[in-house]
Amino acid sequence: MQLAVNILVLASIYALICCGYVLIYRVSRVLSLAHGELMMLGAYGLYATASLFSGHPLIALAAAGALALAVGVAVYFALMWRMTGESVLAAVLATIALGILLRGAMILMFGTQTQHPLRDLGWTNGSLEVGAARISAVGLALILSTALVYGGLALFLRATRWGIRMRAAGQHPLLAAQRGIGLHGIYALAWGLATFTGGLAGMLIACDAGLESTLVIIGLKAFPAALVGGLDSLVGALVGSLVVAAAEVVLIHYVDPLLSDVVPFVILLAMLVVRPWGLFGTREELDRV
Amino acid sequence: MSGYYRTRYAEDAALLDTRTQKAWLAAFVVALVVYPFLAGVLWLDLANQVLLASIGAIALMLLTGFAGQISLGHAGLLAAGAFTTGILFKELNAPFWVTLPASAAVGAVLGLLFGLPSLRLRGLYLAVSTLALHFIVIFAGGEYETKRGYSTGIVIESPIADARAWYFVLLAAAAATLLFALNLLRARTGRAWRAIHGREAVAEALGISVHRAKLSAFVVSSTLTALAGCLFAYYRGFVSAEAFSLYLTIQYVAMIIIGGMGSLLGAILGTVFVVLFPYVIDTAMAGLGLSDRLSSVVFAVNYAAFGLVMIAFLVFEPQGLVGLWRRVRDWLLLWPFKQTPLR
Amino acid sequence: MKRLLCTIAAAALPLGAATAQDAYVIGVSGAMTGPVAANYAPVVEAMKAYLDHVNARGGVNGRQLRVLVLDDQAQPSRAATNAKQLLVQDKVVMLLNASLSSTYAPMIAESKRAGVPLYYAGAVCPKETYPPADPLQFCSTAFGANLDSQAALAFIKRNSKDSVRLGLAAMAIPIARAEIDYAEGLSKTLGMTPVEKQISPPPAPDYTPFATKLKDANPTWVWSWSPWVSQVRVFEAMRRLGWNGRYVTWAHLNAEEELARIRDGEFYVIGTNAFMEDNLPIHAEIRAVAARAKLDYPVSYLTEGFVAGLVVESVLRNTPWPPTPQKVLAAMNNVKVDMKGLRGGPLEWTKDNHFRTRQHYRVWRWDPQGGRIVRAQDWQAIEVKR
Repeated sequence: MQLAVNILVLASIYALICCGYVLIYRVSRVLSLAHGELMMLGAYGLYATASLFSGHPLIALAAAGALALAVGVAVYFALMWRMTGESVLAAVLATIALGILLRGAMILMFGTQTQHPLRDLGWTNGSLEVGAARISAVGLALILSTALVYGGLALFLRATRWGIRMRAAGQHPLLAAQRGIGLHGIYALAWGLATFTGGLAGMLIACDAGLESTLVIIGLKAFPAALVGGLDSLVGALVGSLVVAAAEVVLIHYVDPLLSDVVPFVILLAMLVVRPWGLFGTREELDRV
Repeated sequence: MSGYYRTRYAEDAALLDTRTQKAWLAAFVVALVVYPFLAGVLWLDLANQVLLASIGAIALMLLTGFAGQISLGHAGLLAAGAFTTGILFKELNAPFWVTLPASAAVGAVLGLLFGLPSLRLRGLYLAVSTLALHFIVIFAGGEYETKRGYSTGIVIESPIADARAWYFVLLAAAAATLLFALNLLRARTGRAWRAIHGREAVAEALGISVHRAKLSAFVVSSTLTALAGCLFAYYRGFVSAEAFSLYLTIQYVAMIIIGGMGSLLGAILGTVFVVLFPYVIDTAMAGLGLSDRLSSVVFAVNYAAFGLVMIAFLVFEPQGLVGLWRRVRDWLLLWPFKQTPLR
Repeated sequence: MKRLLCTIAAAALPLGAATAQDAYVIGVSGAMTGPVAANYAPVVEAMKAYLDHVNARGGVNGRQLRVLVLDDQAQPSRAATNAKQLLVQDKVVMLLNASLSSTYAPMIAESKRAGVPLYYAGAVCPKETYPPADPLQFCSTAFGANLDSQAALAFIKRNSKDSVRLGLAAMAIPIARAEIDYAEGLSKTLGMTPVEKQISPPPAPDYTPFATKLKDANPTWVWSWSPWVSQVRVFEAMRRLGWNGRYVTWAHLNAEEELARIRDGEFYVIGTNAFMEDNLPIHAEIRAVAARAKLDYPVSYLTEGFVAGLVVESVLRNTPWPPTPQKVLAAMNNVKVDMKGLRGGPLEWTKDNHFRTRQHYRVWRWDPQGGRIVRAQDWQAIEVKR
């Protein structure tokens, strides 16, 4: 029972992070390797607003979320719109370079010491009983927010105008543009939403464990989950996260904790060999990626 | 209309054409040979680092710049060469004439492994598969370190100690790599690589075995990289898994991007740029007097500046330093005439 | 780095023209910036601040001390370059390392070549400083491999009446794993039962799976020796799972702060440096020096650097003018530094032992009733022999 709870918590962490990868890839066919740094930016945003709005934790949270959204849009208009149409390697490298730039900027602004945003918000991370297992308050928050985010996104993409436009732009940018859909706006929105969800993941992880520069590597660890599920499918991201999280937790418990570091990448390799486009992804040309 | 015509195939394939070029090369070689006797300690060390890194950069340029196969596993290959050297040294006390070919062999085998996904995958997915392989190699290295008790890393005795001696060794190695690459590129293999980089379907139709070309690109590149890793191990006298992080791969990729893809000169220029960049930032900060406020975060400034420079090159000058050089050279050649290059 | 040179020169000016010939020159290569800087930069800054303070009081043997600090960002190649520069260009008489263990090998090679002693101040002590010691390597850093586990397990044994079920936790870096493996073996000889050993990769998004495995084995005590983040997160995850046992862990620079944050009565930290809350005269001196140098680290982080400063001052005081590396080496081989309460006893180096002859340990925990840090065990000494 405890194992199941652990798997769910880890899977929600991965799913929340993968959401960002999938959104950006689905809409603009760009793989954003700066997602880890954007996560950390969201977490530092929370730290900043928590100190700013000390005493009003809910306002701080809302402000941090809005900040993450704005930063995502800003990133698109500052850099990524120039990379549309360039080669795959150039676009990926641009995101890597962006990540490096963001990391340096964050250290310059906030220093290298570990921060504890949860304490600044005035809350504590208690533990709750769920049947025979226990879960931390932040873990529960993670599961709930993942569910909300995915539900909200599904609704948004299916039912609202902008969501349908996003799906259209992702399917066939040329036709969408000729139909009158402003692609730059769509891409900016995608980046904003991706940064928002990534930032939310970063904030929750920082509340659980403290905020420091190793948060970025967690973003990279979640990447195999996105690929296993299919880089352009939200359902795939959920399933992929569950698969990878389950593999990790089961291995830690029954085999060797050290393997948990390398297992996501082994699964990734296996998927690439067998079915490169993931479990739920669209079967791609694999040529002009 | 320069009045200079090539009338034989040999002239077409030659590396140096005119007497001026040969003269410049001779002067350059003399300068390189004299350099260690004139340079200070720091500059000699930097030159050594540049020469060592250029081997890896040339290897990566062959793979990504010419053959068009994206690889993010470069640090893993360097680590493989270094760890082979370390393991052979510690377990069997092997001398360098055993470890060098052994590293090359390990590099070739890993190249084959890294290259197999490229037969099915392209672009993004290939990059990701090489990334996954990188993590697996590093993990294996770390496991060896722990299981054998070298918790702070493997210490290696190097046959060469003096910085100047290292300079000449590394210069010879880098020159050999460069010549090897140049020869490869003007031969059949190089042409096959350029073909598959352009359009795979057409290359296949022309009779070039795309699979063989891709695998050969990976194998050659990895062998060179593993050799660079072996030299790395001897130069530092030390091998540890922490030294081969993803950031190292990104630095090498930056070298070839900033240098300019598809050009060996670009690989070398990029290497010089990336290796010297942190020191330039240090000096600039000290000169601007900003170092007072920012001395404890020089690292972050370095990082941020590096990212910014990479972005600037990607956005404004996709052809890299070579592109810049070519523009300068054309401007000089055409002066006083002006010519906007055809896009 | 050039800025530091200038500030030291500038600070020395009012006290008279201190030219290079007139000063003791030592060089430091440290991880001043970079991801691990938080563990090493405070040490170097504190040491420098203390030595500036010594200069202000008239220096050593009437001469000023010059400390050249170069940043190596925990990268071996930079450390090698720094070492070369300090030894060949600046001709330092003592080389210091305050950086990750991966920077050791290149600096050892350089120091051997120049015959200049290498002093690890704030960086983990390599085995070569234990007796029989390598002639040129010295170390004053608090934590010591194997000795820490001996002290911790001794503390656990002393404080438990029934047989101990011991859990072990470490981060997946070779040095921590080696220590925990050693502790596992040692615990068996002491009659404890090691029930579970968990190695967690750095970093893990969630430590709960590792904590679950540990908790399921039902240990009464857990010993963890790793970078602080892994130590404390495993503990917090275990507590959230409902484990009520006792957790012993190494006191890193931020231990004092963290005890106040965590506020758990059964969370013990074991270490060799006194806490600020002891409020000894030396702590007032630390506060004053830090304020004057405008260091922006919490004062509790500065103890290790101060220890290094005290050692450097004592060594150079015993080095007759004009200093040469050989004279410094002779002084280091025979030094006994009064720690003024910062450690449990004086730091002694001999020709054979470049670590220290005795290591003293204290254990602290948080007292929930009193709302402050209390000592769970006062100075216990362990002899450092072959």
